[in-house]
Amino acid sequence: MFCEKAIELIRELHRMSDGQLPAFNEDGLRQVLQEMEALYEQNQSDVNEAKSEGRAELIPSIKLRHCCLLRNQRCVTAYLYDRLLRIRALRWEYGSVLPANVRFHMCAEELQWFSQYKKSLASFMRSLGGDEGLDITQDMKPPKSLYIEVRCLKDHGEFEIDDGTVILLKKNSQHFLPRWKCELLIRQGVLEHVVS
Amino acid sequence: MFIADIRKDFYEVVANQRVVLLVAPDIDALCACKILQALFHCDQIQYTLVPVTGWQDLGTAFLEHKEQFRYFVLINCGANVDLLEMLQPDDDSIFFICDTHRPVDVVNVYNDTQIKLLIKQDDDLGVPSYDDIFRDEDEEGEDSGNESDEGSEPSGKRRRFDEVRIKPSRSKREWEARSNIGTLMLPEILNELLNFHLFSCQAAMMFFELAWVLTKDTKDMLWWAIIGLTDQWVHDKITNMKYVTDIATMQRHVSRHNHRNEDEENSLSIDCMRISFEYDLRLTLYQHWSLYESICNSCYTSCSFKLWTLNGQKKLQEFLADMGLPLKQVRQKFNSMDMSIKENLRDVIEESSNKYGMKDIRIQTFGVHFGFKNRFLASDMVHATAALLESAEKDDSETDTFIKALDALSRSNIDRLHSGIELAKKKLIAIQQTVASCICTNLILSQGPFLYCYLMEGTPDVKLFSKPMALTLLCKYLLKAFVLSTRNKRCKLLPLVIAAPKDVEKGTVIVVGIPPESETSDKKNFFGRAFEKAAESTSSRTLHDHFDTSTNNAENRFLDGKLFLKYTEREHCE
Repeated sequence: MFCEKAIELIRELHRMSDGQLPAFNEDGLRQVLQEMEALYEQNQSDVNEAKSEGRAELIPSIKLRHCCLLRNQRCVTAYLYDRLLRIRALRWEYGSVLPANVRFHMCAEELQWFSQYKKSLASFMRSLGGDEGLDITQDMKPPKSLYIEVRCLKDHGEFEIDDGTVILLKKNSQHFLPRWKCELLIRQGVLEHVVS
Repeated sequence: MFIADIRKDFYEVVANQRVVLLVAPDIDALCACKILQALFHCDQIQYTLVPVTGWQDLGTAFLEHKEQFRYFVLINCGANVDLLEMLQPDDDSIFFICDTHRPVDVVNVYNDTQIKLLIKQDDDLGVPSYDDIFRDEDEEGEDSGNESDEGSEPSGKRRRFDEVRIKPSRSKREWEARSNIGTLMLPEILNELLNFHLFSCQAAMMFFELAWVLTKDTKDMLWWAIIGLTDQWVHDKITNMKYVTDIATMQRHVSRHNHRNEDEENSLSIDCMRISFEYDLRLTLYQHWSLYESICNSCYTSCSFKLWTLNGQKKLQEFLADMGLPLKQVRQKFNSMDMSIKENLRDVIEESSNKYGMKDIRIQTFGVHFGFKNRFLASDMVHATAALLESAEKDDSETDTFIKALDALSRSNIDRLHSGIELAKKKLIAIQQTVASCICTNLILSQGPFLYCYLMEGTPDVKLFSKPMALTLLCKYLLKAFVLSTRNKRCKLLPLVIAAPKDVEKGTVIVVGIPPESETSDKKNFFGRAFEKAAESTSSRTLHDHFDTSTNNAENRFLDGKLFLKYTEREHCE
């Protein structure tokens, strides 16, 4: 059946609905493109035949193949676009340096897109807030206080804060630290915000 | 040195600094820690909280953090040992110690620079005057000998006191280099001082008063201070007299907080926290349990009735009949009892218990009440938190349980508190059953000048008793029960030593000793010294890791030798 492979690609993304990025399915994409090419070839030859010999009964099959081609195109673009949206969310989640296992899942073009996105986000942030720029990836929710209490969930080793002091993050120790330094670690699951 | 003004000398010093809080694993320390955390949150003082379970942990935590932090606050640990000798800190590390263990080590008292004691000086600490134990450099004394102790009492050594600061390691070396005359006798005063171990003014109250001086005290902090006080009473660490005095102090704070808020027009919402003074029954957890269970499992009632005997059971039934309480009601959960019974319950029980010889069935305490469902007495909180702190879950390390117990003290974690109450119920039932079985099977042996009990490995719930607080509680209940059930007059005046397996694979046991049961005891505990000496003499490996010197971890061999018994008895007699 036509378009099965394209639907496979979509299903793969749908399975990981929480924003995770699966590996780039180069094989699947290639198969869809091959299918599209095959359909197109057939269509080309049929169109030529229909035009030259006036065989009108080929028209429905040409239409069918054309619909399949359009569907394949739509599926592939949806796949690629959804991946880009997820990669964009990664910038907000992980910061500008992605962990290695995530980068592994991206293809070369996606990496390029990501670095360009980073650049444009950075230049936008620099343009805000006067001279220094404003880091809008911090404080996703309005903060209630300057410092928060966090508890360490796993051993993370040493952690440096703004004025150079190094804090040792050991499991089950609690710390009272500036909010902006902890946010990243909270998102990564190393620290836990303690509400008392 | 003792701090005179806690606000100026402690709080304002750490105000713009980062601090490390090293907290011992007992309820008073947890409460003190919560109060201090709340204060630090107010003023945005950055801190790191590290739970420490013993001297080794303390040493490790210190080593890990000494590079980055200058100020260390030790809660309920560190006063009774020469801290500088043990930790060997750099010269700019400053320690603030708030500790209930007494006696305070003399070096800690007389060190002016690095050690600041957050302890009230008017406690009768019995600290000898400076001249009695130290000699200044100028006096070219002939007594330069070093006392040859096994290093277990380092503060007993005479030191040359450098006028600017103490450098113990250097002076000790110099000392040993110059020592030529024979060994000196340990000065008598120090000997007396160091012989016993005692608890005193609680850390939580100390920090609450700091909050009060800063006028940043809240009802939450007051409640934590009350829990700290009640912890000392529940675990029998202070005398009744001191408890009553401290309750009076707390009562003044409670009425101060209560007067502010309520009057006819602006009554507080039901969700606000209300603390009230209660002259309530001494039945543990009775409001969260059934009355019958609570009577059976509270130490006071169970020992008065002697519920491990058949006679005792009959007496209990008589008691309930005397009060007119139907068995069906009494065995129900307390909250589901008839209102008509609950209304006068306390008075009715007090009247009847006077007939049965229980004069002190009611005790002064405080209760808290917030929301429609949540009413707790201070002793309920203590039992719940203690059960959480020492829960014997397999995959929970000691710091995990510390964190859970710390969480349970917040008002937003009622679920955790309820789970703590359930654990506490199990613990109390286990204690009662163990007490009953020990008395009935005569597991308590009289070894000359003390009583001795060993819990074998197969005893049910013995895993609960591998923790110091639970074992101490068991020990106290057992001694009370034993005193009431034995006919031997001499045995009633003996102290009790109890041992339980701690770690079956490694073959270690945990040993606890408590002083004899008496009405007027001043709660001084001599066993710390006795254990140390006994350990040296039997040359078995012991780990005096707990901050409370009457508890001790040892190898199995420690108990096997008759030597242990002999030396413990000898030390106790001295």
